[in-house]
Amino acid sequence: MVQQKNKWGYVLKVIIGLTILSFFISLFIGNDFKSLDGNVALIEITGVIVAEKNSDFLFADVTYPDEIRKLIKKADENDNIKAIVFKINSPGGSAVASEEIADEIKKINKTTVAWIREAGASGAYWIASSTDHIIANRMSITGSIGVIASYLGFSGFLAEHNVTYERLVAGELKDIGSPLKDMTAKEKALFEKSLTQIHDYFIEEVAKNRNLKEKDVKKVATGLFYLGAEAKKLGLVDELGSRDEVIDYIETQIGEEVNIVEYKKEKGFLGSLSGVMNENSFFIGRGIGSSLFTKARLADSVSIST
Amino acid sequence: MNNISLKKGKTFLAQASVLKRLIAFIIDLLIINMIILFPFKKVFNGMVPQTESFSKTFDFLSSNTGSSAAITVIVILIAFLTILYFMLLEKKLNQTPGKILFNLYVESHEKELKYWQLFVRSMFLIPVFPFVLLWIIDPLVMLFTKENQRLSEILSRTKTVEKYKV
Repeated sequence: MVQQKNKWGYVLKVIIGLTILSFFISLFIGNDFKSLDGNVALIEITGVIVAEKNSDFLFADVTYPDEIRKLIKKADENDNIKAIVFKINSPGGSAVASEEIADEIKKINKTTVAWIREAGASGAYWIASSTDHIIANRMSITGSIGVIASYLGFSGFLAEHNVTYERLVAGELKDIGSPLKDMTAKEKALFEKSLTQIHDYFIEEVAKNRNLKEKDVKKVATGLFYLGAEAKKLGLVDELGSRDEVIDYIETQIGEEVNIVEYKKEKGFLGSLSGVMNENSFFIGRGIGSSLFTKARLADSVSIST
Repeated sequence: MNNISLKKGKTFLAQASVLKRLIAFIIDLLIINMIILFPFKKVFNGMVPQTESFSKTFDFLSSNTGSSAAITVIVILIAFLTILYFMLLEKKLNQTPGKILFNLYVESHEKELKYWQLFVRSMFLIPVFPFVLLWIIDPLVMLFTKENQRLSEILSRTKTVEKYKV
């Protein structure tokens, strides 16, 4: 057997040799796998758009700005990624969250495409409008440029059951929007003024993003949803089609063959279960309004959804 | 150990202590971490997003098949470099740094250690099926064999012994 002194000399040689070999291999495959990464990132915007993920949405498929921001950042910082596709299947949601995501998309210095699947309505359309190009199926549900904050009033029910609402407020309008009392005409007017204001922002942003005249957007911004084919005629969508059209458009923009890589949301076990449960929870135009509003009412604050 | 008759001033090779073997293996893993895994850290960081927990990383990998396939290839490559570490050292010295510190040696049932034997005794390091089964089977077999041999050692016709000086 080898002498003790020589042993450590040989050990050192092997260690140095393997270190150098590992560095070379890591450099080689590092570059190699980067090229396998793909050159087009696909980010999904699905479910209801909410400002933050919290326990209310434990079982719901939701999209929230922080998550999308991280995915966008990762794709934007990757030099191999030449374009980003936003695969949208959402009925909309929080106005704030929608604008935040739209603003993030506008910051991207790469080709961006919105690919509307089943639905890209309301807040989700706001997001789609911030991309360079919108592609939708002729039967996709899109548009729905409107704002909603409707809620169920319980004052009649409470009166019927001899329950009274003891109003204790400092500030005349502190309990505006409380479902436990009837809304006064003044309160209603104030509320509608805020909704109109948000509606105007929505219209303004869509017009700016789509290079349309505000008056033209205003005409279609009744809150009504449009099928893809109709939306194309109205200028709300650029092209009708599906995955192939998305790929064709990007190839003409970046001048190379498209290799899509999915940048997916982190989905836990509960998230996987939720996909089945939440599919039919929301309807066009309602967005997350009703759900958020249940909580908001109790806190005497108002939540508005697009 | 009871069967060994010790003579003064001599060295004897006998069954190695399981604890010493475990500590020696951990020392080798620490060295491997520094010389083999460290250079690949940057590659992994570029492919896997920084997450708060292992489960989130797992979620990312299970939802991103492209990355997970690439990572599997890299992990197998690392496993072969690790096996190379054991093979190069055990072929020449019958020892690794961890084993040197505890006077442990790898012995062949045949005349000398051959490369195929060294590969087979280290193949539990390949993190793909069916080799991963050895992570459970190897230590279990070790506990129930007379000379504390792992299954990989039995298959490779090798054993790990400890040198005693008297």
